Amino acid sequence: MVSLTINGKVVRAEEGEYLLAVIRRMGIDVPALCQHEAVEPYGGCRLCMVEITKDSWDGWKKYVTSCLYPVEQDLIVTTHSDKVNDLRRGILDLFLARNPETPLIQKLAADYGLTRTSYEAIPEPNDCILCSICTRVCDAMGFSAISMVNRGHGKEVAPPLHQAPPDCVGCLACAQACPTNYITYEDVGNRRTIWNKQFELLVCDKTGRPTITKEFADYLIKNREIPEDYFRIDDASHREELADKMGRITRWSVTEEAK
Amino acid sequence: MNYRFVVKPELCIGCRTCELACSFAHARNGKQGRTRIFALDGGFKDLFVPVTCLQCEDAACAKSCLVNAITRNPETGAMDLDHEKCVRCMACVAACPFGCSLIDEQHELVVKCDLCGGDPACAKFCPTKALEYKPVTVTALRPAI
Ligand code: FES
Repeated sequence: MVSLTINGKVVRAEEGEYLLAVIRRMGIDVPALCQHEAVEPYGGCRLCMVEITKDSWDGWKKYVTSCLYPVEQDLIVTTHSDKVNDLRRGILDLFLARNPETPLIQKLAADYGLTRTSYEAIPEPNDCILCSICTRVCDAMGFSAISMVNRGHGKEVAPPLHQAPPDCVGCLACAQACPTNYITYEDVGNRRTIWNKQFELLVCDKTGRPTITKEFADYLIKNREIPEDYFRIDDASHREELADKMGRITRWSVTEEAK
Repeated sequence: MNYRFVVKPELCIGCRTCELACSFAHARNGKQGRTRIFALDGGFKDLFVPVTCLQCEDAACAKSCLVNAITRNPETGAMDLDHEKCVRCMACVAACPFGCSLIDEQHELVVKCDLCGGDPACAKFCPTKALEYKPVTVTALRPAI
C-alpha cells in the first residue's frame, strides 16, 4: 500500500495501480478517451493528464498521463489546476479540428469551454478519434484482425490492405467498444456484415433467433473447449430447457416422497 | 464461500417476486435492470422452476470470455462479470448452457447473477422460501450417491 494526496485528500492505493484508477475511485471526473478496462493503458488521447509533484521536488511539477502513471508514495496530484485545464483545452482544440461533428468530443470540449476549434477543421471529418480501443480490444481477444494504418493525418483504423480481414470472426467487440460508434456493422436476418466481411449467424433451433457468428462459435469450441452442443439454442431456450428438466426432477421426487 | 444459494422448485408458486426484486436490486441510473432470475413453467400443472445462474465450478461463461471479464468472486463464490471490462462480444451469452448470461438491452450490458454481492435480493423477497441463501453447514455440500 502507498499513500498519496489527490486534490488535497490523502488516499491509499495498491502498489502498481495507475493514477487514473485511483482518481476514478474517488469519483473525480477526469476525461479519458483511450482508456478501456479490458486492455492495457495506451496514453493516446492525453486528456487524462494531471499535475504531479512531491514535497521533495522543490516546487517542480510534472504533467503526466494518469492512465499510464503508477502510484507513488507521497505523490501530490492535482487533477484540475489551471495549467492542467489549459493543456486539456489545447488537446480538445485539436480533437475539435479532427472530429468537429462528433457528439462525444463536442460535449467534452464544451465542458472545457470550447465550442469551436481555433484551427481549421478537416474538410471531410469522421467520428474516429484514433483512441485505438478497437484494435487493442481485437488484439486482447486474440484475433488482431484490424490495426492502425498510416501516420499523421492519414492515420486510420483498417483491416489489412483495406480488404475483408481474414482473421475477423465477426464478434463485434470493436464496434461495441468504440466510444463514438464510428465502427458500423449490419445484421440482417442471420447475416452479419462488418469490415466488409460477410458472416453467417447461428440460429436457435427452437426460436430461430440469431446468436453469434459461426466463425466465433467455432473459435470458442476449438480454443476454449466449449462443447459444440451449447451453441445449438439461444439463452432463452436454454433457460426453458433447464426449467423443464428441473421440473421433471422435482415432480419425480415429490411423487416418490408421497409414496 | 460459506453460503449457498438453494432453490426448491416444489415451493415455488410462480409469483415472480424474485424477478421484481432482482430487477430493482440491479437498477442503474434510475432505471430497473433486467432480471437475472426467471420463474419459469416447470412443464407440469402448478409447477414452477426458478432459473438463475448456478455459479458453475467450470463455468462456460468464464471460459468463453476472451478478455477475462468474468471471474470468481472469492468472497461470495459468484462468477462476477466486470462491466467495465466486458466488450459485449456475446460469447458468454451464447456459451452458457443454462442461458443465464443475458443481455440487458435497456442498459446495453451483458448481465448475470452476482448473488447481489453476498445478499441476494430474490431470496429475501421469496414469500415461500423456494429461494434461500443459507450457510453451507445447513445445506448438504454434495449429496452422497
Ligand atoms: S486515457 Fe490516458 S491518454 Fe487517453
